[in-house]
Amino acid sequence: MALPLKYNLQNVLVRWRSTLATILGIGLVVGVYVLMQAMAAGIEKSSANTGSEDNLLVTRKGSTSESSSIVSREQLRSLLYSPEIARNAAGEPLVSADVLILLNQPRREGGGEANVLMRGISPRGRELRPQVRLIEGRWFEGGKREVVVSRRLAARFANFELGGRFRSGPAEYTVVGHSDGGGSAFDSEIWMDADEARAIFDRDQYSSLLVRPVDAAAASNLVNRIETDKRLQLLARVESEYYAEQTSTAGPIKWLGNFLAIAMSVGAIFAAMNTMYASVGARTREIGTLRVLGFRRRSVVMSFLIEGAILASLGGVLGCMLSLFMNGYAVGTLSFSTFSETVFEFRVTPWLMAKGLLFSILVGLLGTLFPAIRASRLPVISALKSL
Amino acid sequence: MTLPGFVIRNAFRNKRRALLSTLSVAASLFLLVVLQTFQREFTLPPEDVGASLRIAVRNKVSLGQPLPARQRPIIEKMPGIAAVTPFTFFGGRFKDMEFTPFAQFAVDPVTFTNVFVDAKLPLDQLDAWVKDRNTCIVGEDTVERYGLKLGEKIKLAGTFYPVDLDLRLVGIYSGTLDDRSVFFHHKHLDEMLGGSQTVGCWWVRAASSEEAPGVISTLNDTFANTSAEVRAETESAFQMGFVSMWGNVKLLIGSISSVVVFTLLLVAVSTMSMAIRERFRELAILKALGYRRRELFGFILAESFGLAMVGALVGAGGAYALFHSLDIEKLTGGMLLHFEVTPRILASAATVAAALGIIAAVPPSLAVARTSVVDGLKTLD
Repeated sequence: MALPLKYNLQNVLVRWRSTLATILGIGLVVGVYVLMQAMAAGIEKSSANTGSEDNLLVTRKGSTSESSSIVSREQLRSLLYSPEIARNAAGEPLVSADVLILLNQPRREGGGEANVLMRGISPRGRELRPQVRLIEGRWFEGGKREVVVSRRLAARFANFELGGRFRSGPAEYTVVGHSDGGGSAFDSEIWMDADEARAIFDRDQYSSLLVRPVDAAAASNLVNRIETDKRLQLLARVESEYYAEQTSTAGPIKWLGNFLAIAMSVGAIFAAMNTMYASVGARTREIGTLRVLGFRRRSVVMSFLIEGAILASLGGVLGCMLSLFMNGYAVGTLSFSTFSETVFEFRVTPWLMAKGLLFSILVGLLGTLFPAIRASRLPVISALKSL
Repeated sequence: MTLPGFVIRNAFRNKRRALLSTLSVAASLFLLVVLQTFQREFTLPPEDVGASLRIAVRNKVSLGQPLPARQRPIIEKMPGIAAVTPFTFFGGRFKDMEFTPFAQFAVDPVTFTNVFVDAKLPLDQLDAWVKDRNTCIVGEDTVERYGLKLGEKIKLAGTFYPVDLDLRLVGIYSGTLDDRSVFFHHKHLDEMLGGSQTVGCWWVRAASSEEAPGVISTLNDTFANTSAEVRAETESAFQMGFVSMWGNVKLLIGSISSVVVFTLLLVAVSTMSMAIRERFRELAILKALGYRRRELFGFILAESFGLAMVGALVGAGGAYALFHSLDIEKLTGGMLLHFEVTPRILASAATVAAALGIIAAVPPSLAVARTSVVDGLKTLD
């Protein structure tokens, strides 16, 4: 016969001091675990959020990322008026030839310097990326040394406030607007006119092309045509698929998170074992009584395991709640794919919290197993006699 | 029975608990040492012997923006300069790897060893490298890792440049902090690119450490207001530039370390309290026998402190031994290079453990001090 759950609940509550320390300990372990995974999830989410399924991104064959790609003006010319590419109301092909430039700029409050990604876009570039909205100020005008900076970057770098001016290369730029990329990789970019940027930074070539095919059939047609044209040496991919793959930065963070979780949980398991052994020791007579009443060894083991699981899951819930405070908090670090600052948010997803909870229960069960077995093996008579 | 004997007997009367407490402290201190070493790896790049004389010259815009090759004769004529080499990151893919764990740079083989004086290679190999434009030298670590042999062809597919390299390995260098890179002729890259007139950056060696600051300002001033302004800085300043790019990661590791320490404290206090609660009656007897509160605090402190220190020894010492015997570079695919557990980190772990041992003794001691002898004797269990 199984012991009633109430017995365990009461037990957890009655020894609240040592219980609290264990719960807090496990809570912090789970909190750290969930937060690290939430960071990796934030990076992945920001990548997955970027780009449209309707666009094709054209880069140089062999380049691993957009920022290391080169597309010449001749290549642009040979593709610009392709029949597969859609036109806007004015009859202009929906193509943006972009140029990506890394700018080394000072952070706010003397935090040193870091690279930021500047994207020069063609006049059609904004139409192709409707997910980037202007939230303050106005869009830049070509030729006037004007830029639009994402709201997220503006919060992290000096001189990026509205009307702010900064130098890079032979020119000085004015921030005329702030944009919002809706949690995408565009939240980590500065935008200006592509041809102006090429002139300032002495770039003969573009970095990539973003094109909008007429329909799905035209898209696959264009992809094939670019693929098979040996003179072009270009590669066309669906824009959203390209970005979804740019998650190399998340790898090391996940690795670190798992490592921390394992190392911390070893400590937590020892601590939980200590608490449970003490709990068993203090309840020796009680356990003897239960055995005399006819509860079987199996039931005693089960009962203790359940108690450990309850204890640990309380910690798990606490940890998840602690991590929820950080949900949506924006952090930035070096992106391995663009070699520039990438800004993303902690994403504490329900799935991560479930994983954290499961993890805490596992810690609880591992910590309780040996004390529970010990409890079940106590000789009944001497257990009853013990003080 | 002597007093130390008494404390030791007490500490180990419940062997299982002593072991578990020590191990939980050890696990946490192990983690603390790892985190601190990790943070050090990111924030304090180790320095080469020649580092104080070496100056990196990059485009002021960013490292991603090239510099014109015509700057070279101007730099060479500057006073206080011993040697200059172009230094261009090639970013090639080796054997179709997703991530190539070593970098390749185009340099001037004639001046290269004068700038990077730590790189040692046999004279005949240097000679062979200088003579043939289609050759390269490779760091000892990479040579070992991929079992490369002299004379072998090394193919690198360009990800930054639209060209692929096919270089013959003629030299193996060693002696730098990171013996992994591949160096080849800048002229070869220029030819492949159809007469390119740019370089990634310049590396310069100042003739003496007194002249280095002057060289830096001359470099910065000479190219100010040209189409390619430069940022010249010492090697360590250049490396520190990468550190600030890590952004919030630094703070994050710091916060996790404090969470670990706090958790540790919590667990230690709770364990110590548990240990003392069990022998409340004994302590009351000691009190009745005339031991003062101070002395009882001494017993508890000695036990708590001792257990914490043993934990520190196992945890921090374990981390030290582990990272000294493991090849971290190989294990992490070159992501972490040295992972050196310094005496400073060990000392800080020991300090944490000591503080822990002392703080954990306080709450149970207070409980003992507050309880009267009679109440203490009445305590059951």
